[in-house]
Amino acid sequence: MTDRFTEATGTSVIGGVERRASRSLWRLVGPVLALGAVLALVPLRLGDSRVQMGVAVVGLAFACYTIGFNLIFGSTGQLFLCAGALAGIGGYGAAILADEVGLPIPVSILLATLVATLTGALLSWIAVRRSLGVIFTGIVTLIFTLSFANLLLGLGNLTGGESGFLIESGGDSFLRRQIPPYYVMLVIVLGCLLAHGLLRRSHAGWAFRALRDDEVAAELAGVDVARYRVYAAGIGSAMLGLTGAVYALTEGRVSPTTFGFAEVDVVVVVMLAFGGIGSLYGPILGAAVFTVVDELFVDLGQLRLMAYGALVIMLFLWVPKGVIPTLSGLWRRRAGRVSPRRGGSPG
Amino acid sequence: MMLEVRGLAAGYAGGDVVHAVDFHVEAGEAVMIIGSNGAGKTTLFRSVIGLLTPSAGTVEFEGNDITGMAAHRVVRLGISFVPAERHLFPRMTVEENLALGAYPGRPDAETTSVVMDLFPRLAERRRQPAATMSGGEQQMLAMGRALMARPRLLVLDEPTTGLAPKLAAEAYQALGLLKEGGLTVLVAEQQVPLAMALSDRGYVLENGAIRKEGTSAELASDPDVRHAYLGVL
Amino acid sequence: MTAAIFDGIVIGLRFGLLAAGLTLVYGLGGVLLLAYGQVTVISAVVIIFAMDAGIPALPAVGLALVAGGFMGLVLDLTILRPVYRRHGEARVLLSLLLTLGVAFIVDGFLNWRYPLLGLTLRIGGGPIEIIGVRMPRGSVVASAIAIVAMVGLLSFFRWTTLGRAARSVIEDQEGARLVGIDPHRMLRLILVLSGVLAALVAATQAMVRLIDVRSGFELTVFALIVTVVGGLGSVTGALLAGIILGIIYAIALTYIGTSLSLIILLAAAAITIVIRPAGLLGVRE
Repeated sequence: MTDRFTEATGTSVIGGVERRASRSLWRLVGPVLALGAVLALVPLRLGDSRVQMGVAVVGLAFACYTIGFNLIFGSTGQLFLCAGALAGIGGYGAAILADEVGLPIPVSILLATLVATLTGALLSWIAVRRSLGVIFTGIVTLIFTLSFANLLLGLGNLTGGESGFLIESGGDSFLRRQIPPYYVMLVIVLGCLLAHGLLRRSHAGWAFRALRDDEVAAELAGVDVARYRVYAAGIGSAMLGLTGAVYALTEGRVSPTTFGFAEVDVVVVVMLAFGGIGSLYGPILGAAVFTVVDELFVDLGQLRLMAYGALVIMLFLWVPKGVIPTLSGLWRRRAGRVSPRRGGSPG
Repeated sequence: MMLEVRGLAAGYAGGDVVHAVDFHVEAGEAVMIIGSNGAGKTTLFRSVIGLLTPSAGTVEFEGNDITGMAAHRVVRLGISFVPAERHLFPRMTVEENLALGAYPGRPDAETTSVVMDLFPRLAERRRQPAATMSGGEQQMLAMGRALMARPRLLVLDEPTTGLAPKLAAEAYQALGLLKEGGLTVLVAEQQVPLAMALSDRGYVLENGAIRKEGTSAELASDPDVRHAYLGVL
Repeated sequence: MTAAIFDGIVIGLRFGLLAAGLTLVYGLGGVLLLAYGQVTVISAVVIIFAMDAGIPALPAVGLALVAGGFMGLVLDLTILRPVYRRHGEARVLLSLLLTLGVAFIVDGFLNWRYPLLGLTLRIGGGPIEIIGVRMPRGSVVASAIAIVAMVGLLSFFRWTTLGRAARSVIEDQEGARLVGIDPHRMLRLILVLSGVLAALVAATQAMVRLIDVRSGFELTVFALIVTVVGGLGSVTGALLAGIILGIIYAIALTYIGTSLSLIILLAAAAITIVIRPAGLLGVRE
């Protein structure tokens, strides 16, 4: 088929793809670095206020959570309602390993992330092996979230139960200061973005798209659906776990509400829905907007929940694809009208 | 005219499958619509019965316009439809399936016994869940359920699908008896000989349009029809 | 041990009933009502306000039953309208998300406006003895009511024309339409019925334990788990799963603490779902 195409059009597909590949690498790295540069300026503005820097760090953490969830749900359609729990494995794990077991902080973070990764991959593997659909995956992962929450309460000696505990490790390191955590988190965000972007451009990304569109067709086309699902879940869980671990150590304490369903999962879903499920920068937009929005709501107490409820409804009714895909769809249509010659590629 | 369809067009998201179809059925007749796979027979019937909204055209039943009327209302007007997939209630018993055929009324004893006489195998398996029955029995159950509503017009979409020849013949035997009793029948078929024996008139549907029409005798002697559908060279 | 089993049955009957409501709506309409716990809570609030206004307990509960049914109707007419335009998995997901939004709104409002509201219905008289186990009278009455409701529900679906028509929609929606049943009207009826069930559970829960404005999500999640274990779309499955899981939980509770017992319960549910996603008696895939 490639030969006929080359004959017919006189162009070399292979060469074209190669050239496009290296160009597009800059199309990924460029904007990410630019975004990083812009975000790096934030402490110049907010650096004086500990509270505001704290909010900024939370915002970045949520951006990472959302990127991770986006990878799992947006790319491979696995409704993991356990993002908070996976982050919690990272957070509590790192805290306990550092404080109780006495491991150095980097090792603690690494191990906790690893556990989160394996947990996520395991959940995905189970769902794949048993052919659990979206809803069942959601319910099983929800059960996992509940189990994790109860585990935190049940193992009170280790976890501090309902009130959590203060983390001693790293108390005098740069992690607890006002500005460095922001940059640490920023590096993680950029890393997650790059990882997601690279995945999309790779063979894995093609597989993700294929299996999201039509699983059976993808399977028949030779895509090992199971393997890619587990990969995506693993990598996404790694992002969640790593962020949770680093966040816990910069905050200096963990409690069940740091990684609870209402605090993390719900917010992440809203952020992703707003930004655009499956889009690369959607999570950043969603996190930015909703971190600000949340700050505005923080004084309203329970009304905050009402507002979120109304937002969820409005989002999924009116902008179900999310802001970025809707905008880029409009943009593409505009561009299409301007140069009508540009049709789709054959086949 | 009992059923009159004019200019009917219908299809799915990709576009119309059936274009500008005209046909009619007189009371007491048996009419067949023959065509190969993909000709559009199922789409046609579904849009007549209200499971699919036609994109153009009209459907009139006993003088009333039923174009685009929802299926659950159409079947209360005196039409019953036996779809190709049967759509029985798998975990409900034969009895329950039949009883629901009479919805919203309760099944009356007379109709029930008529159906049981027509399909003795159903009587034997009254309490059995529909899913446990063989293909042939399920087809009979589907037909029986359709009859419980005492329709004046019975529409069947490829009733012999997946049936062994003997059972297919039995099904058409039953249809013959029903026709003699005054029931009007409209049937879509790929297995043409059986339908031809039953029907007074027929239409040939190809690529979503009516290509030929005529009495059964006329169609039986038409060389194209013989070649395409009767296996004659 | 027997006491634990009885406790388990009491809990199980309640959650079985709640799960029945959820499973009916899912089986018939392919819709997941994540706001179901909130319907229960609002019903409890109705009882509270009615009794505060001087209405005696029984009519107050009656009023709540009507309110519950009414809420089911309201859901059908409002938030579920856009959901009906979708089908299959898209429909489930959208219903999940929109009803979740509704749940947030209701929970947020109630917790903001009436944060301290709670309901207990004390049934007069001392404990009742059943096979040598002394059970609080409230638990016995609640369970009796639940059993009557279950028998009524199952009879309705087994013996009445309307009930069979509803079942037929769960079994094969197209087949139902072909016999003259309007699936949408049937769904509306089932939503009203589910609302009434939710209100009934509010009343029976209040007889056993406090039900307050924070109970919403907990009720929904547990009802959902019982529903899935029992098999989506199967009322008998929901009732059975409720009782089994209730007993497992109660037995675990006598030997271990609350949190770990919950984990055991959750693990049992998860294992069942993973081994047999269709549930104990599942109908829909």
